[in-house]
Amino acid sequence: MGNSHMIRANGIKKNYGARTVLNGIDFIAEQKKITYILGSSGGGKSTLLKILIGALKPDDGQVLYRDMDITKLRGTGLDPFRKKIGMLFQQGALLNSLTVGENISLPIREHTPLDDNIIKIMVKMKLELVGLRDFEDLYPGQLSGGMQKRVALARALALDPEVVFFDEPTSGLDPIASSVITKLISDLNRVLGITCIVVTHAVEEAMKIANKIVILYKGAVLAEGTPAEIRGSSDPIVQQFITGSPDGPISFHASSRDFREDLLVE
Amino acid sequence: MKNFAGHLGRAFITFLQDLSSLYYLFRETVLQSFVLITDRKKRRQAGLLTQIDEIGTQSLPLVLAVASLLGVAMTVLISFQLKEVGGYNYIPGLVAVAIFREMGPLLTALIVAGRVGAAFTARIGTMKVSEEILALETMAINPVRFLVVQRFLGLLFSLPALTMLANFMAVFGGFLFGSTRLGIRPDTYVRETLDVLTFTDVYSGVVKAGVFAVIIVMVGCYRGLVVEGGAEEVGRATMLSVVSSTLAIIVLDTFMTGAFYG
Repeated sequence: MGNSHMIRANGIKKNYGARTVLNGIDFIAEQKKITYILGSSGGGKSTLLKILIGALKPDDGQVLYRDMDITKLRGTGLDPFRKKIGMLFQQGALLNSLTVGENISLPIREHTPLDDNIIKIMVKMKLELVGLRDFEDLYPGQLSGGMQKRVALARALALDPEVVFFDEPTSGLDPIASSVITKLISDLNRVLGITCIVVTHAVEEAMKIANKIVILYKGAVLAEGTPAEIRGSSDPIVQQFITGSPDGPISFHASSRDFREDLLVE
Repeated sequence: MKNFAGHLGRAFITFLQDLSSLYYLFRETVLQSFVLITDRKKRRQAGLLTQIDEIGTQSLPLVLAVASLLGVAMTVLISFQLKEVGGYNYIPGLVAVAIFREMGPLLTALIVAGRVGAAFTARIGTMKVSEEILALETMAINPVRFLVVQRFLGLLFSLPALTMLANFMAVFGGFLFGSTRLGIRPDTYVRETLDVLTFTDVYSGVVKAGVFAVIIVMVGCYRGLVVEGGAEEVGRATMLSVVSSTLAIIVLDTFMTGAFYG
């Protein structure tokens, strides 16, 4: 069983100046499973994701992709890892100067010696996966937000990755576009066996399709388990988080000083 | 006073940091240029001709219009002084030398810095803030090769070419004014110009244009690549890019003029 993890984080710490964003994160994302990392906004989720894909170095700790510690790699040393992963950015991050088809073919052209005709077929296949086969020649600016994300997902899948990372895949989308993306994540995992790591604050989605949920709170892992385990947790913070209640241990007041004292100071 | 010194110190440190980052960007650009030039597939993909068209051909009308007016204006000014001593036959040589050695390369570079350098920063800066550059890195695509190299090669070819065309246009402007309004015979004008101009006058302009091209591309792309934040920051970076490349062009121009003719 020792090798069943795809991505493993060991004691990741990250500070921005004096502010601690991540204070020792440990979790395992297993092979061919969907792992959701949940946390409130500004809770260090994006920082963690950037560290997981090697775009940011942690101050301390390891990120293991199989047995390779990617925090030790720099520059082109990361390339073998990067060719094995895909990433869906929050805003899609499609190149606006290229058409949908060119965006998807970009990594294929870059990393394979394949012929143009074969690349064309591959692009069509990737677009079919996300249900947008007729949109090849349009520019990203001509598509809706939800469609842009689907194209971005097709691009993330271009090199048949083992792992796909998702940064807030459904934020800013209407309910239907959201469920389309959620269903796509679930299908990719089920049909193609892709390991999915999703960073989000959308609890409902996570409960629906996750194999495992990791909840971040104040830079540490608050809870970890299957959706059923998380739902059954007796921790009041976890309960507040999954029910989304404004009342509970997580205070509405983000400031730490006493309000009355603050007013009386000057 | 102490505060002022502190500001100055910080500005100096920032300047040194920028300079060292620019050096690394330049080194990577040169390295990646060789990768691109030697790889047929990547060369085709980079769209060098599109870059030359965007940078060079589309700057041509503006550059030529400004250059011809500059030639006329210089001839007018010089003729005012030379009228007193009756030295109209010095006009062709004076105008040609001033333009080929100094005004042509400088003016062309400043126009291109404003038009093209600013566009580089805005374009790359926008890509940076919308995570497109991070996306390239995540796909194991070198952003310098993908975004900087074709602009570098494109401008390295376009700016010297634009400069030469601007030089000829400015001299032609002077020729038109001199031969029609000052009564200098056209054949005398041409002969005088060719007598005075040396090979150094011509190639020093090409060298200058090459150096200015490097400055415009490096500063323009660097300012774009380091943008953090949003649209406001892209705007600020674009302004900063034009200001710093303008300044660098003028300073280096002075040094190079000194080196060639001092």
